[in-house]
Amino acid sequence: MNNIYLPQLVKITKIIEQSPTVKSFRLEKIGGRFEKDKDGLVFKPGQFVMVGQIGYGESPLGPSSSPYEDKYIEIAARKAGTVTGYLHSLKEGDKITLRGPYGNGFPLDFMKGKDIVCATGGCGIPPIAALVEYIIKNKENFGRVYVLYGAKTPDEILMKDKIEEWKKEGVKIILTIDKPDKNWKGQVGFVTDLIKEIDIDEANAVATMCGPGPMMGALEKVLRPLGISDRRIFVSMERKMQCGVGKCQHCTTGKKYVCLDGPVFNYDEIEKNHD
Amino acid sequence: MRLKKTMIDKNKKPRVAIYDFTDCEGCEVKLVSLRERLLALEKKIDIVNWRLGQERFESGPYDITIIEGTPIHHHEISLLKELRENSKILVALGACAALAGIPGIMPEKDRKVWYEKIYSSQYHPAGVDAVPLSAYVDVDFAIHGCPVDEDEVVRVFEELLAGKTPSYRGFSVCFDCKQAGNPCRIAEEKKPCLGPITQGGCKAVCVSGGSPCYGCFGIREEANIPSLVKILEKIADPKTVERYLTMFHNRTKEILELKDNEK
Amino acid sequence: MLIIKTEKIDEFLEELKTNFSVFNIGGSLSDGGMSFKKYFFPPVEKIFSKTSTSNVEVMKAPKKFILLGLDLPDLEALTYLDEIMQNPNEDFFYLQKRKQSVVIGLTAENIDTAPGGDIVFQDVGETKYRVWENTAKGKKLIKKYKRFFEESDINAGADSDGAPQIPNNESLGEWSRSMRELLLDSEFLAKAVEWSRDHPIWDELGKKCLGCGICTYVCPLCHCFSIEDSVGLDDKCSRCRKWDACTLPDFAKIAGGHNFRPSIKERYYDWFYHKFVRGYNEYGKSQCVGCERCKELCPAGIDIYEILSVILKDYKKTLAES
Repeated sequence: MNNIYLPQLVKITKIIEQSPTVKSFRLEKIGGRFEKDKDGLVFKPGQFVMVGQIGYGESPLGPSSSPYEDKYIEIAARKAGTVTGYLHSLKEGDKITLRGPYGNGFPLDFMKGKDIVCATGGCGIPPIAALVEYIIKNKENFGRVYVLYGAKTPDEILMKDKIEEWKKEGVKIILTIDKPDKNWKGQVGFVTDLIKEIDIDEANAVATMCGPGPMMGALEKVLRPLGISDRRIFVSMERKMQCGVGKCQHCTTGKKYVCLDGPVFNYDEIEKNHD
Repeated sequence: MRLKKTMIDKNKKPRVAIYDFTDCEGCEVKLVSLRERLLALEKKIDIVNWRLGQERFESGPYDITIIEGTPIHHHEISLLKELRENSKILVALGACAALAGIPGIMPEKDRKVWYEKIYSSQYHPAGVDAVPLSAYVDVDFAIHGCPVDEDEVVRVFEELLAGKTPSYRGFSVCFDCKQAGNPCRIAEEKKPCLGPITQGGCKAVCVSGGSPCYGCFGIREEANIPSLVKILEKIADPKTVERYLTMFHNRTKEILELKDNEK
Repeated sequence: MLIIKTEKIDEFLEELKTNFSVFNIGGSLSDGGMSFKKYFFPPVEKIFSKTSTSNVEVMKAPKKFILLGLDLPDLEALTYLDEIMQNPNEDFFYLQKRKQSVVIGLTAENIDTAPGGDIVFQDVGETKYRVWENTAKGKKLIKKYKRFFEESDINAGADSDGAPQIPNNESLGEWSRSMRELLLDSEFLAKAVEWSRDHPIWDELGKKCLGCGICTYVCPLCHCFSIEDSVGLDDKCSRCRKWDACTLPDFAKIAGGHNFRPSIKERYYDWFYHKFVRGYNEYGKSQCVGCERCKELCPAGIDIYEILSVILKDYKKTLAES
């Protein structure tokens, strides 16, 4: 019998300090799980993995590496609780536990042929990063691609090197900051002015969002005014998660399980749920 | 009451001090009765000051200070404040330290009656009312119980030593009580009990032994106290209900708030 | 038809005890109201352990055991819980213990098929029990102990239309009967409970419910859990799973502190919502068998039948008006 709760031990091959509180971890790819599917994807952008260690617990985290990368996956964790505190205490060569990938991921087929606006904030960038990597690899299938990324301070912008690479690939990046320092020359907050910078065919555009706080600002101030309807906005939702496989009931929202039916939901669908 | 970001360094043996103020010392006896586990614990921590347990009294600063009992004399109060200054983590051990507990039952005006009876009116006590440690200083974590439960003590140390922030039990005594296979005092026996509003982790030893739960493990997070009071008042007279609520909680903010609301 | 005589049952049990651990559920309120659930899904259960250098060790299954005395609602609950624990994902630790068990039901209800378990003893009066062999596991056990059983014709005294003369000694109480009648139309219950979200009854219950979790612990179908990890003083790491209760404040609270169900009212409604709406949506029937434990053991005296009755009455009224 397959044991859905049993994680595998994987080696951390690289640790990158992304910000004063966020580190990303490159995990060696292991056999059995994370095999390429028929489209060559190791996971679907927007899916999550359970990362942790026996004795400390597990956290659901969205991989940020390219879904085509079959030698490793990368995750990023902000030092917040027990599990992430433990992850931050580790060094390259240490082993952690991994389960997954779980959940549905972004609706890649539905997104094909459309303009894409990815809105994210702070630590919500990893699944969006995986999605952008996917889009770049399949450029011919997508229209214009925008990434709106908000952070509290310039220090807290993660994956800066990746963002530079995406720019070279033609992805339009709009960074915004809540509290700028004196070197900051970009946007401050999700202001209405951002709309002028975004040129999309709103009737044929899809928005994806991840990260709770700044996300709602982006929704109200940018996505709605842009004219993207709720039905074409997809949100990666956050809930308390324990088992990740639809048993423990912690992540439920209305009739849905964030771990099984999500974490990506149509915004229209979320509105209908009572909790 | 949440532990601040003062987790201890996993890679260093923490310096631990164990102090006691006014109480019965029963919780410290519980520490001793950890037996083999105390020896295992001793390998992980350096107990540098413990009046009851050893002849080694090093001064601070300490990584972890465990305090049993509650201060009732101004010397004790200033010592407590000093210990707070000198400790990274301050842990209240047992109901007296965490809640004021039994010493907190009687306020000064009631004590006076007894002083006069026992020691005559010539006696001028220096003591003040017993209140929880948290009334004087920030308490990082409280290990509840009268006395504390050995497994809970070990759990808290395990969490601290693993660099975790110790967590309070989010469930009620009812979870322990069901596991012990007890009939429900309130629902089935129509007898008062504070189990539903009390933090679990105690293994329901009192109810299993035929006593009610008086709430020595502290009020559970977001407990519905007004509803329980209404339920209890249907099965017991108001004086009894009052006695239950004030056995350990006479000086806790939850019960003081409840009394304020009643007024 | 296979039967066992009442006087043989004790002998049979004694014999079983020499080979297996035998646990008797007793009545629904014995063992503090804990149902059969705890034998397959214990309140606290270590699932993994690991030292700093070892691989993850999976906790082993217990020795074969026999669980006895499940009544009709419990047998139905077991069948349902098996389904929940197999779909859409298999719960390793539940099924691991389930596999090691033989479950023997005991009912005085008039049944025409075994509602669950491996063997069911049906009290047919006259100091004998009809024996239903429900699974291969059950058949195997009976074959091994066949000397306690015998073939008998309980239809001997059949009346003119051939119906068996089984005395109708129904064992379920009135509350259970009424509740089970409501449960026959799970679809309607699901619609009514979904509709009732803004019903004032939830405000009342939000004030009344103590949030103690007893209803979820004694429910044979509630199956929420949390994962708890610890690093022992001996450096051995372990992972436990522990029953949780959706009425408790931390149930939907995330690490950053946000609580998706911040009030007792919302949490209590969610308990109902899971039982009657989400559960129905997933498995096609309400997650309740009318065992009466939650009603008997609620310190606040909350009666789910009463609540459903109020909701149904008002829902019907609304339907009639529209």
